[in-house]
Formats: sequence, structure tokens, C-alpha cells
Amino acid sequence: MIQAAEVKDRIREYVLEEFAKTKGIDQITDDEVLTKNGIIDSMGIFRLVAFLEETFNVRVGDEEITHDNLESIDAIEKLVLSKAKK
Amino acid sequence: MAYVLQQLLTKSAKAYPDKPAVWARGTSITYRDLDERSNQLAHLLRQRGIQKGDCVGLFFPKCVESIVSMLGVLKAGGVYVPLDPQAPADRVGYIISNCGVRILITNADKRKDLSAETLGLVEACVLTEGNGNGADLIAWSQLSEFPVSHAPEVTLVETDLAYILYTSGSTGRPKGVMLTHQNALTFVEWCAEEFKVSSNDRLSNHAPLHFDLSVFDVYNTLQASATVYLITEDLALFPTSLGNFIENQKITIWYSVPSALMLLLLHGRLTPEKLNSLRVILFAGEVFPMKYLRQLAEISTKSDLYNLYGPTETNVCTFYKVERERLAEMEKLPIGIACANTECFSVTPQGKLAEKGEAGELYVRGPSVTYGYWADPEKTHKMVVANHFQENFEEKMYRTGDIVTVGEDGNYYFQGRRDSMIKSRGYRIELGEIETALLSHPGVREAAVLAVPDEIIGNRIRAVVAPHIAGSLGVLELQQYCASRVPKYMIPELVDLYDELPKTSTGKIDRVKLASERAGAMRA
Repeated sequence: MIQAAEVKDRIREYVLEEFAKTKGIDQITDDEVLTKNGIIDSMGIFRLVAFLEETFNVRVGDEEITHDNLESIDAIEKLVLSKAKK
Repeated sequence: MAYVLQQLLTKSAKAYPDKPAVWARGTSITYRDLDERSNQLAHLLRQRGIQKGDCVGLFFPKCVESIVSMLGVLKAGGVYVPLDPQAPADRVGYIISNCGVRILITNADKRKDLSAETLGLVEACVLTEGNGNGADLIAWSQLSEFPVSHAPEVTLVETDLAYILYTSGSTGRPKGVMLTHQNALTFVEWCAEEFKVSSNDRLSNHAPLHFDLSVFDVYNTLQASATVYLITEDLALFPTSLGNFIENQKITIWYSVPSALMLLLLHGRLTPEKLNSLRVILFAGEVFPMKYLRQLAEISTKSDLYNLYGPTETNVCTFYKVERERLAEMEKLPIGIACANTECFSVTPQGKLAEKGEAGELYVRGPSVTYGYWADPEKTHKMVVANHFQENFEEKMYRTGDIVTVGEDGNYYFQGRRDSMIKSRGYRIELGEIETALLSHPGVREAAVLAVPDEIIGNRIRAVVAPHIAGSLGVLELQQYCASRVPKYMIPELVDLYDELPKTSTGKIDRVKLASERAGAMRA
């Protein structure tokens, strides 16, 4: 069972390892807009969602795959935590 | 009849001054605004030394100011060079240097990405937003000091350059395709006739502005006094948001690469109601798998569907209007027949016209064809060749490198490439450009880059590398190195490290063997 405090760290680690580093970016801030600099592309969005569903045992519907929900590490954490409450 | 692109704007601004011309992120500007702001920008550029034929770079994320900038540069007699805002600084710097960009229109944020060396090459930067210190910086607000009512006096003809679009180069550096007003207008006029674009139309712009699909979105909008809806990066990556956007903005004409449409189909929660306003759907840039095209056809019953084909060097040169009644039995989608004012030939390796059923390379002639690559006479002579079928005078034609056949139905069908250029998500990628990037790494002894077919995006990129010293290089390291040289969509997703690459009997890298060996064995 993943603790709420760990959620952000896990997300940050995944985004860094899977997306940022392979594109030559060593660090990202939690409020940085991930889609702005091409860190995440159109296929990457779905890999990210699959990771969230598998790691945090949540279901992210297609209609929830929006800029507001996924634009930054902060936003993604918020999305995941809001589902854990249900 | 317009003979330079900016006349399309002037005419529409006279007829429909208060109509929205460009929409982005929920706000829009009118034709009057677009006309006046671009006049002001043109005067500013002239005052800062821009003369006819000078290159002005555009380096910022897509927004209303992008369109103002394009038209402002044209009105100053300049040539605009759209630079991919997501490309690495090294690549952008190369392009700026290669075509001699004199003034760069950018924003404070993107300007920081560029090296001091690159910035030293340009005379001034116009900032669409943000501030900075420096005598070479011009704030967007300074536009207000210049006249609104007319553009500067410049003598232009249709064969003057309008823009340069850089595409992947096989020998390692991107090459700049030079495009004149006539090149663009030939395409725009054919589109206007074929799709009957009117002032009631609402065109989306999905493609980045450095990609020639956007030429239709922007200039056919201006030609018809319609409105263009810019799809910015906050929308582009989110299929459900895109589906809602089409419905909410009542888009009537959509043009994009097939993979964008496929993502919409698979994840956009599309319904026929959402696509109600769409009367024309155009796609180009890569092969559209029949399976997904049939799904699209089912859900978009109100739309005409068109497959458009053509390299940047000619813009669209052939087209096929989908015959819905044939979709069920069709195995492969044709690229169709030549557009108006364009002629295509299929030529055998012996230089003769191919017979029906015989494969040949597609050549294109007509006023849509580029004069060549900026400052690259060698590549130009290779691809823009003498038309030996023309006996009466000297004329050029462009060899596309695409192998085609003519079907029973009289349509051209794409069979494959003559070389190692591939498409991935509609992006044109020379595998050689990625190989050159890898080989430039001091630790790399050998490198080969291969395409791995993918159902949705066309191809994934796989690199096979043999370092000088076994075990000295890591996958991530190589990907990061590539990231500093090539755009993100060219970074190899799969990297296999070998001690030595397999060779054929003639000593060349055996790509067939590499392709058959399991890919991704050592993926990070």
C-alpha cells in the first residue's frame, strides 16, 4: 500500500527516468509544465497513464486525460490522491 | 489574383475587418488586428534593417503572434524561417547560422535556451513576451510606434522566397527547403477549389508551423476569409480535449497526420455528434492503416475524407478522395492523382516513363516545386533535376524518392522509399541524420539506426551501437547525447549495444540481419 506522502516521489521518479532524462533533461520542478518542452509526447501520455493505473491501483478514464490533470507533477499527484479517497 | 501571400490577408481584411481571423487558447484577433499588427511589425523589421530576401527566424510556441509574425515578415519582403520550439538548441543554432537569420522573433523563455554563440549571430531579437536586458532586444509593445494602415513599399514578385522549411538531412544536418510565394499559392489555389473553403469555414491547425500542413490551415483561411483555430500544446496531446475542442469550436475542416486522428479515434471518446460540424477531413504525411481509416469513416459520416500526398519540396502533389463504398474491400489506400497545376511522372531507373503496373520513382513538375535547398547546391542538383522529357526549353522537376505504381483504378499507389528516409508520427526522419549524430560521440565506434514498424505511429526508432571500449557506454547516455543534437521524435527509443556490428560479405553493416535480431534486448 503506497502512502500518500510517497505518491509524489514515485511520480517524479518515473517522469524523470522515463521521459526527462532520455531527452537530456536532468531535473524538473514539481510545477513545471511537462507538455511545454516536449518532455511528454502524444504516446508518452498513455504510458504515463498506464504507470499511474498500475502503480497506484487507480483507474484513469479517457475523459480525465486532460491538460489540467496531467500538466505537472503537482497536478498528477492531485489526480492520484483524489482517486485514492474513493 | 494574389501573387504574394500577404495579399490574401489584405483582401480579407478589407472585406471582413471585424471577423475573427485567428483563435488560440480561447481568444482571437480580428482580420483588422491581424492586418494592422503585421503592418506594424513589417515597418519595425524594415527599420531594423530587414531587406528583401532576408531571413527572419520564428522561435516560440504556437500562438496568435506566430501568424502576425509570418505575415509581418512577408510584408517586409523577408523570408520567415519557422524554428521548432521543441528542437535542441544545437539544431536551432545550426539552422539560424545556415540561412543567416538576421532577426529572431522569440520570447524571453525560449531565448534563454539558445547559446551565446547562436545569439551572437543574430542582429536583434523581437520578444513576443517577457523582458530582457540588451540593446539587441525589441519588445512587442514597440510595434505600436509604427504605421497601421499600410505595409512598407517593397517590390515583390511571385517567385520571391516566402519561407524556408527545414527537414531532416541524411548526411547529418537538416536541409532548408526554399519556398516561393508561387509555390505556396499554387497549393492554396488548388485547395480552395477542391475543398471549396468559404468564409463560413472554421479550420483547425494541428500541425506545427514548421511543417507544411500548416500552410493550408493558415493561408487557405486567409484566402477564404475564414477563421483558423490554433491547436496549442495544451490541447494537442490530449485526445479527449481535442474531441471536445472540435465540437465546441465547431471545426469544419481538419488537417493532420494520420496518427493524430488514430489517437482521437482510440482515446478521444468520439461520437458522430462530436464530429457533426466537420465537413472535410484531410490527412497526409504517413500511411493511414485501412483498419483505422474504416473506423474513422464510420464515425464521420458527414465528412469528405481525403488522403493527401507530397513532400515539403512540392507541398501536396497528389490527392485521393476516399470512395466510401470501396473501403470495405480496399487493401491499400492510394495516393491518388496529380493536383491541378501539377504534373507527376513515374520514372524507371533507366529514365523511362513506367508502364501500368511497373514500379517507378515519382517525379513532380509545375509551379509548386521548390527551387532547391538553401545554400546547398550539391543536394539541390541531386533532387531538383533537369526534366529530360521536356524538349522545348530547360525545366526542372523534383525526384521524390518515393516508389509508386499506377493501379487499375488509375491512381498512384505508394510502394516504398528509394532510400532510408522513414516516417514516424508523420515526421520525416532520415535515419542517416541520427546515425551521424551517434557517430559524432567520441566513444562510439560503429552505429546503425533502423526503423521498427509500428501499427499506430508508423515506425519506432532503434539504434544499434558498438563502442570503442566494450561496456563503456550506456543506453541513457546515448539517448541524452542524441537529445542534444536531434529533435525529440528522432531520439532512438530502443538502443542495443553490441561489441561489433554484423557485416555483409562486402564489409557493409548487415542491416537485414540486425532487423531480424530481437530488438530492445538492452533497453534502459
